Amino acid sequence: MDTAVSASPLRIALVGVPNCGKTALFNRLTGSRQKVANYPGVTVERREGERAANDGSELRILDLPGTYSLSPTTLDEAITRDVLLGRVADAPAPGLIVCVVDAVHLPIGLRLALEVKRLGLPMVLALNRMDVARRRGVKINVERLAAELGVAVLPTVAVQRGGADALIEAIQPGRWAAQRNVTVPAWQETTAEDAEQTQSDLKGVLEAVGYSAPVENPWFGRVDRLLLHPLGGLMVLAVVMFLMFQAVFSWAEAPMDLIEGGMAAVGEWLRGSMSEGPLRSLLVDGVIAGAGAVLVFLPQIIILFFFILALEDSGYLPRAAYLLDRLMGSVGLSGRAFIPLLSSFACAIPGIMAARTIPSWRDRLTTIMVAPLMTCSARLPVYALLIAAFIPDESVGVFNLQGLVMFGLYAAGILSALLVAWVMKLFASGTLYSPLMLELPDFQWPNSGNLLLGLWERVKIFLSRVGGIILALTIILWFLSSYPAPPPDATGPAIQYSFAGQLGAALEYVFAPIGFNWQISIALVPGLAAREVAVSALGTVYAMSAAGDDVAGQLEPLIAQTWSLATACSLLVWYIFAPQCLSTLAVVKRETNSWRYPLIMAGYLFALAYLASFITYRVVSAWA
Amino acid sequence: MHGSPVPLAELRRGESGVVSGLDAARMFGDSSAESAALLARLRDLGFVAGARCEIVARMWLGGDPLVVRIGGSTFALRRAEAAAVQVLRHKERPSPSAVLVAKDASAATV
Repeated sequence: MDTAVSASPLRIALVGVPNCGKTALFNRLTGSRQKVANYPGVTVERREGERAANDGSELRILDLPGTYSLSPTTLDEAITRDVLLGRVADAPAPGLIVCVVDAVHLPIGLRLALEVKRLGLPMVLALNRMDVARRRGVKINVERLAAELGVAVLPTVAVQRGGADALIEAIQPGRWAAQRNVTVPAWQETTAEDAEQTQSDLKGVLEAVGYSAPVENPWFGRVDRLLLHPLGGLMVLAVVMFLMFQAVFSWAEAPMDLIEGGMAAVGEWLRGSMSEGPLRSLLVDGVIAGAGAVLVFLPQIIILFFFILALEDSGYLPRAAYLLDRLMGSVGLSGRAFIPLLSSFACAIPGIMAARTIPSWRDRLTTIMVAPLMTCSARLPVYALLIAAFIPDESVGVFNLQGLVMFGLYAAGILSALLVAWVMKLFASGTLYSPLMLELPDFQWPNSGNLLLGLWERVKIFLSRVGGIILALTIILWFLSSYPAPPPDATGPAIQYSFAGQLGAALEYVFAPIGFNWQISIALVPGLAAREVAVSALGTVYAMSAAGDDVAGQLEPLIAQTWSLATACSLLVWYIFAPQCLSTLAVVKRETNSWRYPLIMAGYLFALAYLASFITYRVVSAWA
Repeated sequence: MHGSPVPLAELRRGESGVVSGLDAARMFGDSSAESAALLARLRDLGFVAGARCEIVARMWLGGDPLVVRIGGSTFALRRAEAAAVQVLRHKERPSPSAVLVAKDASAATV
């Protein structure tokens, strides 16, 4: 085999309109051999994967953000155009374009294909979702289409095993060897004449291939009649959201007990089989009590992401965005902000990055600024711990009281986001129009393969956080809580004499008015790096404070005994705002390209958290 | 098809029509680069002369935003966006039963 060939892999870019099944096709081509990063300078997600070609060389496959046109209206769409033109550093112009066109919605995808083809790069066309198209009576003469366009046309079914075999055959590097050194195409802005030319070309091709539109599925219309109804639709949305949060709490119970039991058993075993000393303390009090306390929340995070991914795949999310557009518009947000904000329930970072799909800068900024108010999954461990310790596990009607409190905390986050957005609107000058123009895709059953791949990606991220930053911080905190050792005549627990104890005592002055003791104050510090570390930090701090061997293995009963209800409520409310997440602030800095907005964000979140916790603590103290 | 073109935003739920053209002045009352870009995007989405479209849903109090079915795809548009699309109604001010008839007729031609 020619070594020069294997040294320079063929670079393939997938281009298509949103919802054409491009990402499913990408998954089919690369399997799990993919990585997600960012384009240099911007936070547009860059999905790249690899596949071994038949001749042993590598295929580098790039999944470009979906776009309707090469004249961009959002940052995402601009990236797609710029990568194709070889304008992006670190991303040379692709040697081959796979233009993905949804056969069910041929005209809109074919229009883009005509535009892309004009760039003059080597291209093949993947005619995707052929199975659905056939079922719905769409007629397309594939040979004629290939002849009209002058490119190979490969029918694909991305969600089926073997559904992309013809495409895989067509993208083998041997066929495209001549084009290995691609000349970067010249770009001219699309003029009105170009646009009209494309439209008439499109009309010609559609007629030539005998295209007939899909038969309407009567169910889609009926379902949409309910889901898009101004009142009925909102009620369905509320029920869906509510079920999602109930499920996060009730389905996760059994697997969480299992992980918790496993962790406790490992801790006991280590305690029994190792001799007393710093290493045993590090493993049992630091690693198991700390990082283990966070690992317990893996099932809840999986369930939350399961719902988000399934809702996304089914085509429901843009409908929710439509329903909420008016409401969100009244506080200065766009309906398009719904999807970034929903992702923020998992983590604010992908949420803030998803805000790039919002065309107007002001809408985008408002979305970014309120995204941290959506309760991210890192706060779930804190909520779950406190609710399990302080809220009785009772039924209220058909609902579970713990689930209700959880729902209330999420709702409080949403309401404060609306409030903050409204205040931002007051400060903004003038009223700029921002477009909606949102496609509501056909309903489809979420594809289990894509769902599992998406979940696996999230599990990997979570586990690498537990094994990485959370473990590291837990060990540092264990060290700070263990040294310096207490003087021989010490009376209190050893931790009070350590660095962490001293820091906690100092912070207590700041946090005592809102009911936080020194243990909580310490836990807030490593929580700056990742919110869920607050739980592992509490685990470590309490494990270290206990005298000798009678360490209570479980954090939950311990805090239930030692904290007042007012303190617990105050901490819960604190975490609705929880300003302490450095990675979120770093992403905001990168997204807005200025220190101004992350500083404003940290300031306003801290102020709101302190104020709300102060009020909560005083009110609950007075009542209880 | 009856009468002169009206903005798409004026159609009621269930009403359908055929696009006759796009009108930038209807969008912002100017011809700025911004509204030109929005018009270009509408065209890319399939709002071109001759395309059949139907209003699937409208928000209460003024139909902002609204949902349009066009060329086999469905889009949510703001009122201002839908106002820029000129359509010829299938029927002038149909009664509810006339809407059903119009829908049956359009279903038969697909």
